[in-house]
Amino acid sequence: MAAQRTIRLNAFVVFGLMALFFTQPSAAATIEDIALLKSADRQKILIEGAKKEGKIMWYTTLIVDQVVRPVKEAFEKEYPFIQVEFYRGNAENLVRRLLAEYQAKRYDVDLVDGTVSPIMVQRAGFLQRFYSPFFAEYPAELKDPQGFWGSTNLYFLTPGYNTRMVKPNELPKTYEDLLNPRWKGQMMWSTSRGSGAPIFIGNVLMSMGQEKGKAYLQKLKSQNIAKSTASNRQILDLTIAGEFPIALHIFNHHAYISKMAGAPVDWFALEPVTATIQTIALAKNTPHPHASMLLLDFVLSEKGQKVFQQSNYLPAHPKVPARQVDLKPGGGRFKKALYMTPDLQFDKGNDWVDYFQNNFVKG
Amino acid sequence: MAKQQPSETFELPLKSRRIREAHGLIGLRALARFDVETWVMIIVCAVTAYLVLPPLYSVVQTSLFTTKLTGEIDEFTFRYYRDLVREFQVVGPFLNTLYFSAGSALLATLLGGLVAWIVTRTDAPLRGLGYFTAFASFGTPFILYTIGWLLLLGKAGPVNFWLKRLLGQTEPVVNVYSMWGMIFVESLLWSPFVFLMLAAAFRSMDPSLEEASAACGARVWQTLRRISLRLMLPAFFSVTLLIFIRSFESFEIPALVGLPGDIRVLTTSIYLDAQKLPAQYGSAGAFSVLLMLVVAGTLYFYFRVIREGDRFQTVTGKGYRPALINLGKWRNPAAAGLLLYSFVLLVLPFFIILWASLLPFYIQPSFEAMSLFTLKNYITAIHYPKITDSIKNSMLLGLGSATLVMALTTLASWILVRSKLRGRWLLDLLTTLPLLFPGIVMGLAILRFYLLVPIPIYGTLWILLVAFVTRYIPYGIRYTHSGLLQLHRELEEAAYTSGASWSNCMRRIILPLLTPSFLGGWVFVFLLSAKELSMSILLVSPQTPVVSVAIYELWENGQVGELAAFSVIWSAILVSVAIAYYLIARRSGIQQQ
Repeated sequence: MAAQRTIRLNAFVVFGLMALFFTQPSAAATIEDIALLKSADRQKILIEGAKKEGKIMWYTTLIVDQVVRPVKEAFEKEYPFIQVEFYRGNAENLVRRLLAEYQAKRYDVDLVDGTVSPIMVQRAGFLQRFYSPFFAEYPAELKDPQGFWGSTNLYFLTPGYNTRMVKPNELPKTYEDLLNPRWKGQMMWSTSRGSGAPIFIGNVLMSMGQEKGKAYLQKLKSQNIAKSTASNRQILDLTIAGEFPIALHIFNHHAYISKMAGAPVDWFALEPVTATIQTIALAKNTPHPHASMLLLDFVLSEKGQKVFQQSNYLPAHPKVPARQVDLKPGGGRFKKALYMTPDLQFDKGNDWVDYFQNNFVKG
Repeated sequence: MAKQQPSETFELPLKSRRIREAHGLIGLRALARFDVETWVMIIVCAVTAYLVLPPLYSVVQTSLFTTKLTGEIDEFTFRYYRDLVREFQVVGPFLNTLYFSAGSALLATLLGGLVAWIVTRTDAPLRGLGYFTAFASFGTPFILYTIGWLLLLGKAGPVNFWLKRLLGQTEPVVNVYSMWGMIFVESLLWSPFVFLMLAAAFRSMDPSLEEASAACGARVWQTLRRISLRLMLPAFFSVTLLIFIRSFESFEIPALVGLPGDIRVLTTSIYLDAQKLPAQYGSAGAFSVLLMLVVAGTLYFYFRVIREGDRFQTVTGKGYRPALINLGKWRNPAAAGLLLYSFVLLVLPFFIILWASLLPFYIQPSFEAMSLFTLKNYITAIHYPKITDSIKNSMLLGLGSATLVMALTTLASWILVRSKLRGRWLLDLLTTLPLLFPGIVMGLAILRFYLLVPIPIYGTLWILLVAFVTRYIPYGIRYTHSGLLQLHRELEEAAYTSGASWSNCMRRIILPLLTPSFLGGWVFVFLLSAKELSMSILLVSPQTPVVSVAIYELWENGQVGELAAFSVIWSAILVSVAIAYYLIARRSGIQQQ
């Protein structure tokens, strides 16, 4: 009896193993397998899988109204069987939420974007490397060497000025020109880590070198730049209102948009211009890996990049110019940009915040 | 035997029981009533503890542990407290914080209190304006209100423009980026809160004491100072304490108004520290733990002061209808004061906001600029994604949290005022603590809690409701507590003597008499929750958009005009609801003059 049962049991095991072996290639592909898929039938596999998944949850820092919705619409037109849902928050809140969910083993999120949020998630160990055929079209600084993220769009941080208060011929042309007594008490900047004073300081320290950079910043300190926790957009609005003739470090496309509306404002470049990168990444335990890969491919492709262009964002793809060409480097108004990669921002950012605190706030 | 047996916990049941015994009424009913009261107390304490303790645990934990990159708790440390103590030793920021909070608390109390007195107790014309101003100014999104003031008082703003002309100067006369500017804006922001609370207290004033004072030949001012103000000590304490604490821990006004003028307060560094990656809220946690200790001490002291609660009981069984004070020749100046208050608190900032909302980009007011007027911003606002859902959700949350907060805190205050429990100040402390939790830490605590416990409200409106109710308990408790202190025990005793049950007495005696405080608190919590941001931004899900988050997104990335248009619409909705509720509820409450 006992022997018989063993045999029957073994038969079960063998049958089970065979079943597992034969079904493996299609059904049990891991998230990693799907994310790194390079085979010729990649697109077919992704579409088949995505049809079963049906949706994507995208944690985004982009502005829903301006760009997320157009991307969603264009993507859903291409793949009508996928529904894109999103949660919008700033980097800090978005990452906090994601980490809390992962701690509780709740895996809702598929994609996460931002200038620093993906790297924060990556360092926590909750990102999945991925491969996209479109990676090849991007320069090295706009993609992660290990494949943790790709870029969708770029931001260039330049000074903006009130055209009624500052004449074009007075405009500072170099960083040194900002030290002119004419600008004492006339400038304002934001305290924001990712777009305000700290990253400006980072640019100076990197492009001039630590020693020269610090000497420069010490002189800049005596220019009494007004600090505010207001967003860059609001600081630019205060400049338009005439409160401070120069907003020292704002997004150049904001100045452009206001200028087009007729506001007395414009931007000028001090080289190298601080540039930040909007990156996008795949969550480690993404519940919809096939559909997510399709969206990643889409936003990195020229077609998807054109949606960013039409939304007045500055596409990351080298072949897709900005709608207003001169907002990007090489468009006629500036050449040199210093790309603050996510790694750089994560590793050096705290030092810059400290330097700003100790010298410009407490000093 | 039965006479000595009953516990000393509630004086009221004991007393009334004696009365009933005298009438031969003791029996099962008295026992059952005692049970209702005990149950109310147990439930109120349990609910409050359930709401407040998890975030409290989180705040303390945040202040004592470092966080790993994954968000997990890491090592035990006193580092944040050490850093904080070092920060406290720098005299400048500490003094600035003190000046700022004391200045704001005093100015707001003075302004709101004066207006409340004129509106509720005098015969000055235009009194209705007080309520409208309070509702409307508080219904405006906070960020925009502040920006409005910066644009008004800024170097290039209209105030400086006219002052320069008037005084023949070339340099700006007023510098808003100063301690003065900070106190000014902060106290204006808080004065509606003071107004609503003190108006309620004034309304429940015992007229006989004032009349006696007047009969003894005291002037209006003397009566006010010696009788009215002293009787209102609990209400004054409540508002001053609350504003002091809120200003002490606030960073918004100091950051937007003070920082550009290089005025640093204690929270400035904490705010900037929180920008570090991975985000650490240890300093914020430690700061609020220290504040909690201070507040605990203050509340303990306060309870000793008001132990003889009878002193503040102004609403008694005697004819209760405070008479209006005849201001005589001061009637018109008082009305002018009201107009000025309304002008400064409401008209000026609202004018700037309306102005901004009509322009394609912001320029200073002038006739020439009016040619640029456009409704484009309003069109953008109306077409904002999920706008109807957001408004519906925010409205539901506002109504829900205001009602729940006021219901819970009315019961809690009743326990605080009527019970003789020794540790009852602990319940007061428990209900005051959420005031001190940093919004982001509290949001995170609630997020984590509901991810862990098997109550499936994560990602729904309910989690926001729980968060809001917890956050606004402190405001509710201050309104209802100071209101209940004014009600004389004899009213309840009379009800019990006439055979009323506990719930009957609550419904027919206490609630109607508490109406002014209850309404003030309700409207305040309603307006506050409709504006709540720091927790909402973390707790909303794609299915549950709320308005404040939409406004925040516009603040970060939209132009000031779009933000303004959106806010004008939202404020109009909020204020209409608040006024409608107020009018309806007041009619069904106590009779007014």
